[in-house]
Amino acid sequence: MRIQPRQHLLEIWEALIRSSYVKDESSKESHWAWGGADSDDSVYDTQQLLCLMFPAAEVPAFALETPDETIDAVVGVLAPFGTAIQIPRVLTRILTSYLERHSDTDGNPRFAGGGYFVSDTGESPSEEQRTLDVTESFALSITLTLAILGFARKFREGLRSKSYIAEAEKLEALASKRLTAAMVGLLRSFTVNAFEAESPEGRLLLASMNETNLPTRRLVEELRRELRDVNAGLRDLTIGSGREAELEGQTTLFECGWSWGVIDGAPEIVDATAGGTQRPGVAQDAPYLYFTTVALDGIADLFSTRTRVLGLLDAEQRRLADSLQLRWEMTQRYWAKLATFGVGDRWPLESMPWNTTDAEHSDYFSLLVSAIVTRDMVERRASDERLSRLGRVLAELAKRGRVTERAEGADPAVRLHSPGLRVGLGGADKVGGPQLYWQVSDFGAVLLKRIVRIAALIDDVELRDELLRLGDRVWDHLVQRRLSAGAFKDLWDEPSNVYAQLGEGHSLTASWHHTIRVVESLVGAAELVRSDPPRSEFMIRQAQHSISEAEHLYDQELLDGGAESGKSIRDLLQTVHANLLRAKEIQYERPASAVAIVQKVLRELDRLAAARQDAKGR
Amino acid sequence: MLVFATSDKGGTGRSVTSCNIVYRHALHGGNVAYLDFDFGSPTSGAIFNIDGATRGTTRGGLHKYLLGEIPEPTRLEIWDESDRSSLRGRPDGAGRLTLFPGDEGGGEFAASPEIVGRCISLFSRLEEEYDLTLVDLSAGRSYATDIVLRATADPSLSKVISRWLIFHRWTRQHVYAAAGLAYGDRGIIKSGEERGHDHDKLKDTIRFVRTAVMDPRSQELSGLRAAQVAWLNDVNDDLRELAGRLQIGRTTMLGSVPIDPVLQWREQLISDTDTITRQIANPATVDAFVTLAKRLTDEWPDL
Repeated sequence: MRIQPRQHLLEIWEALIRSSYVKDESSKESHWAWGGADSDDSVYDTQQLLCLMFPAAEVPAFALETPDETIDAVVGVLAPFGTAIQIPRVLTRILTSYLERHSDTDGNPRFAGGGYFVSDTGESPSEEQRTLDVTESFALSITLTLAILGFARKFREGLRSKSYIAEAEKLEALASKRLTAAMVGLLRSFTVNAFEAESPEGRLLLASMNETNLPTRRLVEELRRELRDVNAGLRDLTIGSGREAELEGQTTLFECGWSWGVIDGAPEIVDATAGGTQRPGVAQDAPYLYFTTVALDGIADLFSTRTRVLGLLDAEQRRLADSLQLRWEMTQRYWAKLATFGVGDRWPLESMPWNTTDAEHSDYFSLLVSAIVTRDMVERRASDERLSRLGRVLAELAKRGRVTERAEGADPAVRLHSPGLRVGLGGADKVGGPQLYWQVSDFGAVLLKRIVRIAALIDDVELRDELLRLGDRVWDHLVQRRLSAGAFKDLWDEPSNVYAQLGEGHSLTASWHHTIRVVESLVGAAELVRSDPPRSEFMIRQAQHSISEAEHLYDQELLDGGAESGKSIRDLLQTVHANLLRAKEIQYERPASAVAIVQKVLRELDRLAAARQDAKGR
Repeated sequence: MLVFATSDKGGTGRSVTSCNIVYRHALHGGNVAYLDFDFGSPTSGAIFNIDGATRGTTRGGLHKYLLGEIPEPTRLEIWDESDRSSLRGRPDGAGRLTLFPGDEGGGEFAASPEIVGRCISLFSRLEEEYDLTLVDLSAGRSYATDIVLRATADPSLSKVISRWLIFHRWTRQHVYAAAGLAYGDRGIIKSGEERGHDHDKLKDTIRFVRTAVMDPRSQELSGLRAAQVAWLNDVNDDLRELAGRLQIGRTTMLGSVPIDPVLQWREQLISDTDTITRQIANPATVDAFVTLAKRLTDEWPDL
């Protein structure tokens, strides 16, 4: 693998600190320069801090909370914060100011989209629009606050000074409040959209499911049967809008997932007061693929091993997490079933691009659906065959998205990367202002993240290597897209480095949207590298057979009295013995290494045998 | 400022490191006193190359002073008395460097109110005369430790900043031993509490110094085989984890001194001549002493 997660993450941290922890010219003191221009840019600020906190929480070597254990390379990269002891203290202040910056004057957490909202009319989003809470901020905040909670607790344990303890406790309390608020936000933005098979949405959905040309009636039946368990799971849920999903009709179809923000008319969640006041929503009552994927990623952190082992959730949060988990499972199941529906030799996912029920189509949607399918396969420990099929989908997307292939002339695929896909935010104009969009351009990085995830699951050595090679090629592409100069050098994203069609580079600041996706991919790659090497049954058999032959020959030497015939033979036999023990010790975890050791042993033993043969004149 | 240097085990290089620290401090202009409280084996004269005091003085040292046999302990001014040419003559800008030797043929003795009283009065006088008074205690739990814990608990010394340095080598056994000496049942903090010290305040005054540390990345060890370095790295990680768990990790570490042949075989001060002109000692060792000397008197951050 050409991706070196440790090295690359250190480089990103170095660039992050260089660009974001800047010295004030007048006071000579350093401060955190926020990713967003305004205090309503919660998404940028969260992504920027996650670039630091996500690896710190997920990769043991990058942990920051215990100065005694911080590794030297990390201390070196974070030197602008101060010594190893000062690093977590400075960080505590930065994280606290983040949590305060994104709360209103009464201390209620806010998840505003801010500068992320764009319009296509030239009219700027109104003040009211800029402060609308968005799902992406809820989801990112879950990941970030969980990272902060783990950090604050462990850091606090090592402290004695009362003032520092108070700071750590304040940080923990603020993070916990934001976590509750983010969970409430996600519950209120979840939705199920039911429609009839004959409706426009129904027809679009059926058209993309019909790989085998079934008559419509049969298709509807088949699809409903396939989705029966999801349907049952959703039936008892009160969805964000407060309605109960009505999915009973014989020809009723549905979609589930997350809208872009709190749904219009969503009631307040009772018994979740710790998260502060709940503002009314305006978002369209329908799932969006992009926000669904983002929400699934964030929610998954709520029941990760780390969250459970460290006991990061309080009782109220555990209740909310249970509710979210049900929605999370159903949604994942729904999209995975849809994507791999049918008995034919072709998954709907394999017909690119993916069509949404609001008549949009893009390879980006195919990628998002693949992302959900990846999650589902991880959850269900899918077979190598299915995993590698999904891997081929990603390889195809890499080609079509012009990540592993060159873009010639006015290739429309370049638009995936710049300006990216525009997602219309239905309902955002209700508070006054233009129609709003969400711009997403992280195609390449999302691709890498999923490739690494699948590669980590596959046992088959060749399939795994194939995926890693694909991952390397996507990484090569991403590396080229780093900014090559200026304050944000070595961060992302400068697509014109790869796509000459886009003209001269013009990115002056980092795209945290892009950079955090790369960081997530690298964290995934670090996990992959930390795991045991893939086991090959073939190699294990070879190791066993080689060891068996070597042991037999060794025993023969002993029987022949080799151990008593002088120092040099005795030394040799001792070495042989030690090597054999070592080979047996590692034969299951690292069979190829075991074979290499035994081969040396066999050569040594054969030298003795050959010499004897010669002596006997044979 | 009073600094007490101690260690749980012998052979940590406590005395030689302490001497080098005060030497560096004096070179930077500080007035420094070095008190040899290792009554069983007062050998600091050897480290400063004072031939007449290689195994303590015969003219009446700290031992006799504390027992009340003489009114004042002997002082030896290093810049005048050292027999080593590179130490003779006070360098430009350097402060005083005074050794208070122990007595030849002395021995351990238990604390009594009179002895503690004399100790307090000595510390008070030295505090006025010197910027830094370093008291070299013997290894392990000794009567000397008991005396100074009683003395520093006295209200008349409450205004004086006192600090503790615990020296240990960077090995599993030494890490356990050093942690035990500080935090254990018969450790400094427990004993201090019994003698009237505040637990948290005393704990805040303790820092650790690692000696004879092998840094696998250092130039000096570049000759090691790859397998040796891999092994060293792993052992180092284990030790770091252990030290952190026992509260003697980086947070409470004042500094570390790399392994150095000159320190190992010739327990002496390392002068600039040794590193620059003769190149027998490593510059990294001198850097470590300079850093330690500076950090010792800097303000320590709250933990």
